Amino acid sequence: MAPTRICLVRTGGQSVAEATQSAAAGIGIPRLANALFVLPYMLILLVMLIIPLGLGIWLAFQDYDMLGGWNGSVGLENFQNLLDDRIFRGTVRNTMLFVLMTTPAFVILGLALALALNDRLRRSAMLRAIFFGSSVLSVTIVTLVWRLVYLPDRGMLANILGTVGLHSIDPVTSETWALPAIAVVTVWWIIGLPMTLFLAALQQIPADLYEAAALDHASRWRTLMSITLPSIRRTIVVVAVVEVILQFQLFGQALLITGGGPNNTSRPMVQFIYEAGFRDLQLGFAAAASQVLFALMLIAALAQAWVGRKREG
Amino acid sequence: MQTYRRGSSFTDRALFIAVALLAIIWIAPIIWVVGLSFKPNEVLMRTTGGIAAPPFTLKNYTDILASSSVFGWMLNSAIVAIGQTVLTLVIASLAGYGFARTNFLGRNALFVIVLAALAVPEQAIIVPLHTMFAMFDLHNTYVALIVPRVAFPFGVLLMTQYFRAISPEIEEAALLDRASRFKIFWRIVLPLSVPAQVTLGIYTFLHAWNDYFWPLVSATRPEMYTLTIGLASMQTNFAQTEGIGFLMAQAVFAGLPVLILYLFFQRYIVSAVAGGGSK
Amino acid sequence: MAEVSLRQLSKRFGPTQVIGDLSLDIPSGEFAVFLGPSGCGKSTLLRMIAGLEPLSGGEIHLGGARIDILPPGDRGVAMVFQQYALYPHMTVRQNMAFGLRNIGTPTDEISRKIADAAEMLEITPLLERKPAQLSGGQRQRVAIGRAIVKQPRAFLFDEPLSNLDATLRSRTRIELARLHQRIRSTMIFVTHDQVEAMTMATRIVVMNRGQIEQVGTPMDVYRRPQTRFVAGFVGTPAMNFLTVAAVSDEAGFARVSLPDGSTVTTVIPTKALPSAALTLGVRAENIQPGGGIPARVDVIERLGERTLIYANLRDGSTIVYDETGDVQVSIGENVQLAIDGSNAHLFGADGRAIRG
Ligand SMILES: Nc1ncnc2c1ncn2[C@@H]1O[C@H](COP(=O)(O)OP(=O)(O)O)[C@@H](O)[C@H]1O
Ligand SMILES: [Mg+2]
Repeated sequence: MAPTRICLVRTGGQSVAEATQSAAAGIGIPRLANALFVLPYMLILLVMLIIPLGLGIWLAFQDYDMLGGWNGSVGLENFQNLLDDRIFRGTVRNTMLFVLMTTPAFVILGLALALALNDRLRRSAMLRAIFFGSSVLSVTIVTLVWRLVYLPDRGMLANILGTVGLHSIDPVTSETWALPAIAVVTVWWIIGLPMTLFLAALQQIPADLYEAAALDHASRWRTLMSITLPSIRRTIVVVAVVEVILQFQLFGQALLITGGGPNNTSRPMVQFIYEAGFRDLQLGFAAAASQVLFALMLIAALAQAWVGRKREG
Repeated sequence: MQTYRRGSSFTDRALFIAVALLAIIWIAPIIWVVGLSFKPNEVLMRTTGGIAAPPFTLKNYTDILASSSVFGWMLNSAIVAIGQTVLTLVIASLAGYGFARTNFLGRNALFVIVLAALAVPEQAIIVPLHTMFAMFDLHNTYVALIVPRVAFPFGVLLMTQYFRAISPEIEEAALLDRASRFKIFWRIVLPLSVPAQVTLGIYTFLHAWNDYFWPLVSATRPEMYTLTIGLASMQTNFAQTEGIGFLMAQAVFAGLPVLILYLFFQRYIVSAVAGGGSK
Repeated sequence: MAEVSLRQLSKRFGPTQVIGDLSLDIPSGEFAVFLGPSGCGKSTLLRMIAGLEPLSGGEIHLGGARIDILPPGDRGVAMVFQQYALYPHMTVRQNMAFGLRNIGTPTDEISRKIADAAEMLEITPLLERKPAQLSGGQRQRVAIGRAIVKQPRAFLFDEPLSNLDATLRSRTRIELARLHQRIRSTMIFVTHDQVEAMTMATRIVVMNRGQIEQVGTPMDVYRRPQTRFVAGFVGTPAMNFLTVAAVSDEAGFARVSLPDGSTVTTVIPTKALPSAALTLGVRAENIQPGGGIPARVDVIERLGERTLIYANLRDGSTIVYDETGDVQVSIGENVQLAIDGSNAHLFGADGRAIRG
């Protein structure tokens, strides 16, 4: 499945207040011993997530690399260096471009598939299985398959273009096509997630709404525009937010298909973090880049959720 | 599922044909790769056209079986995925029950923290996490590959939600039947939560099996590679390779376990995805 | 089997007081029915006794020992829940055995107890089924059976009949009454249905807004309601209430005038009357035609064995009285009514009944 956790999905749907309020109903009398149930998880959460998160924020302000050791706090210098780094700026641009390419595709194609396949027919179930199936594969297999598809001269793409008499291109080594080629792989890989979310939403629409519309002689198009889409508006926003968050984390596909090239035109932010932190061992610098990514993701998601809510209200 | 059919059968048919065509495009790469994986490398050196034309061979697969590392990686993946699944099920069920059904001081505050942890992407913590494991010299161990992933809150929230849906009266009846809190959890609540356990288990297993970034930085010794990392390590030097048939066979071989899992548990996998998103 | 004693119980959910300073003794072997409208705190009270809801104040004693400090399982009470709360993944037998196993009862004793209870409740053929394979009435029996095998010192029932259809409900009422006769255990039963209270209780406790309005035998509560609330809640149709004024004294008893000017002589001593506003309460069965109060028939409800007639007095106020099933009467007809003053009640401005 996609390298990132689908659990991010839920941040878009349920507000914190909503979720905690419904937590109010425990049974029995309050006892501290009950906290033992959550203790193992809370310990793991603390050690494996909360402490690293704090440490990461701290690291972002330190001059700390594996080779030179810790050279004290440097304030915003890491961030300043990132700003001045041409390659980093490039990765930010690439990542944003990638998000802009994939998110609309996920929303539109995912919705279209869901609308087309939302019935009980066997053949629809089969098609759903096909579109969803690729998302259970790991990034390594997906990129392996697609590198074979993109292979110059002998790849599937070259074969197809050859039969229709076109010159084969090698998207992997093209500055123009490298990032779009990765976007295509990504959409192919995990279109099943948005499709499934939309299908779930479509099934929540009460059937009597459609019956009422049919009695009102609404055309298929009108039914879609005035019943179906308004009913799943919330899900459209959720899917868009989820996809932005997921696609900001582009990494494996780029590393394994293009390696970030050619000439850095497909290098994403996460790859930059990976290389700064684990190849160059500049921990402070890499941590700062992580915080920039985290912040950008939060801003993008919040902005989108906000826009979605405004439209709704 | 919505059964109400509207519109003409002509539009329906056209729509279906369009979607079916798209589906064919969708599985074409996989069929192509599977097909070519049965062809000799010498033929593939010259042409990759005509996947249905002989000659065929199983040599690419026997080569995989002969190469020792792939099996080691698969074993590692199995250990990591099963370990992570079991640990997640145990810990998420306990915590989910604690949050859903018990009262203790500070419960709501802790729950808010868990919810907030949803927003943290792995990239934000991977550098310091790696440093921490390095400090304790824990890299290239199963512990390192398993434990950090248990911290992600999805499982806890899924189980919390599921336990909340179980009637509290049932547990109260058990309280009156003199069952301890742990016994209620073990004898009443857990048996009732099997569907959620299956969903979470498969979801966790798939994620662990396919995990990429953390194993990439934590497992650096080839004998500790998972299948995902091991396969990736063999993908370098790609264009010059002479054995694309071998590569294709590897892709098929590595993808097979999850695809089989998918075929058997499709309903649960899809519901894990939908359940995570629609609530 | 033990007496239950509630002492100054109170319960708050956040700022809202649900039970306020409630005290009551329920003698051993009693079938006590807590009767009150939905939301008055009946379930809360029952759950406090069971230990499922912490107290905000007060004490609960069972058989002379304080139990509110004990965990639910140690209190010696068994509860039958409104939705039955059977363990869905266990068979009927396992459901009944669960509590006994938890206290280490020997296996053969468990089997014997289950066999006895199952026979008494006629559920022996169902023992190996799971709850999903049972009808509503059968589940209900199993829930009762699960309580019986524990031989609790007190049974608690939270509206266990409300999910049954009307026929089954009246049959189960009789069976529960019979069960009580047989095992003679203390039973506390809460309901909003006054028919259940009247038919099963040895003692009714009428509750309103977390307070006890009245405690008494069914007929006592029906005949001598102590508050206007009880008078209005118990009995169908609801008692007629008319604003009246005391006009004179007849041999020491109060004579009151209705809004339309006609008068009724009661058996309530004049000297007990307050000066403030009075309400006359009289049941439909205590009003007959053939008196001196003119009224006009507005609505007729034929119930079969009797007929309810809603009529308007001259001033427009409505009054309901009953007649035999096949009475000849039509809407718009003018009738002359008589109110049986010896069965009429007077309530003061505070809602309390005035008695001699
Ligand atoms: N857990 C709770 N939190 C807040 N208010 C509650 C809770 N449980 C019950 N209440 C309130 O207490 C009152 C009494 O409830 P309950 O005992 O269930 O009434 P009854 O069983 O008589 O219908 C109601 O107003 C209800 O809203
Ligand atoms: Mg209730």
